[in-house]
Amino acid sequence: MAKILLKFKDAVIKDLPLEKEATTIGRKSENDIVIDNIGVSGFHAKILKEGENFYIEDLNSLNGTFVDGKKVSKSILNSGDVILIGKHTLEFISEEHRRDEGIKAPIRGVSMDETMVIDPREQEKILTSTEKLEVLGGFIIIEGSTDMGEYELKERVTTIGKDESAGIRLKGFFTPKVAALVNRRKECYFISPSGKKPLKINGEEVTQRYDLKDGDIVEVAGIKLQFYLKE
Amino acid sequence: MKLIVAARTDQGLVRPNNEDNFYISEENGLLVIADGMGGHASGEIASKMAIDIIRDYFDNIIGEKEKLIGKYNEEFSETTNRVGSAVRLANMAIHEASQSNPEWQGMGTTLDAVSLNDKRLSIVHVGDSRVYLVRAGYIEQLTDDHTLVHEQVRRELLTKEEAEVSDMKHILTRALGIREEIDVDLDELTLADGDILILCSDGLSTMVPDDDMLSVVTLVNDPAAACETLIDMANDNGGKDNITVIVAYIRKSNWVSYLLKLLQWFRR
Repeated sequence: MAKILLKFKDAVIKDLPLEKEATTIGRKSENDIVIDNIGVSGFHAKILKEGENFYIEDLNSLNGTFVDGKKVSKSILNSGDVILIGKHTLEFISEEHRRDEGIKAPIRGVSMDETMVIDPREQEKILTSTEKLEVLGGFIIIEGSTDMGEYELKERVTTIGKDESAGIRLKGFFTPKVAALVNRRKECYFISPSGKKPLKINGEEVTQRYDLKDGDIVEVAGIKLQFYLKE
Repeated sequence: MKLIVAARTDQGLVRPNNEDNFYISEENGLLVIADGMGGHASGEIASKMAIDIIRDYFDNIIGEKEKLIGKYNEEFSETTNRVGSAVRLANMAIHEASQSNPEWQGMGTTLDAVSLNDKRLSIVHVGDSRVYLVRAGYIEQLTDDHTLVHEQVRRELLTKEEAEVSDMKHILTRALGIREEIDVDLDELTLADGDILILCSDGLSTMVPDDDMLSVVTLVNDPAAACETLIDMANDNGGKDNITVIVAYIRKSNWVSYLLKLLQWFRR
């Protein structure tokens, strides 16, 4: 059951369940939630119930309606959201849409130690659409003898070395089988030295994992490569 | 390239039953691991079904016309697509079974299947079991966990540290058998002589840090002994879940190995 906690300066004035399709808020007594304050319009805003969701809609009020500090005309309400009207705050609380604990609802009563799957629709609520673009990187050979002039780094781990299955295959008698490894993650690439040959990035030797940036110059086992990234 | 492989599974110290299953075949170069879940011991059934179907698929017991399931992905080799189809078939079968029996409703399983075809490794992945590659002293996870927490970390909604202590670590975003259709992760990799593969259920990866796994497999150098050591470590650290691990050492097939095989044959 969703409800509104009407507060004034941190003191809870009223605890109002949201039962109707539309709950009106304003200074005049015809409203469901009456806020008798000069800064509040006669009919200031309303809370709409649409299916499972609740929305706050401003009714062209003079001083505006704010949700979590932002002025809104219509906005979905998540549990814990604070609506500011005049000097009063209305805290929206909902069992079904607790943003932080959203997935606890469908799996209540099950031990959290058990493995379980959640519905894709539930996932969307929690994950929101902030997915990053996958990047593709590669090397252009600047100096040295390799089997190709340019390499796209598609695999999770690419070896630079003389090994016959190395992604970037080097020649030369003293070249190590594995000179360095390049790892691909969803959003980045990194390179790690291997064996005795020093690995230099932009002229400086690195001894551990290094996160590659677009344009970095890599020197290892007698070759010089430039790293690039494209979206 | 060939595999020298061993696998072990253990109930752990807390769970009343073992819902993990695995299958290894050195000849087919196929390694499969599954971690089941569901009430009424149906997790065991789901993981067993997945393993059996994938094995049968590669042993050609399943008819030709049922072979391609789901869309053929041109980006990957035929082998990878074959493994992907096998996994999709397993998903369908588990889903159907769960619909037919009320006690099995909601059962599912994670699944990782890798297949070695000469130098190329095909990886098919669903859930939170993992495939690791150990190369040149480094360990790298080749699969992305299909867990809510991992997705949140990826989208920067959680930090790695917060994820470690989250009580939602066990919530999967994908598993076999839950829905009629499944989105499987496909990947490929070129393997080199000396590489080591580790496949494990979360009973190992949540109990033993990656770097400890790396030390064990590089020092022990024997797949069966490495598996046993890893399981002992997971149990020493609490053994909170079933533990299953497959360790495979990748070796170049050369005349020495043929000679060794011949020698073993004579010893019989």
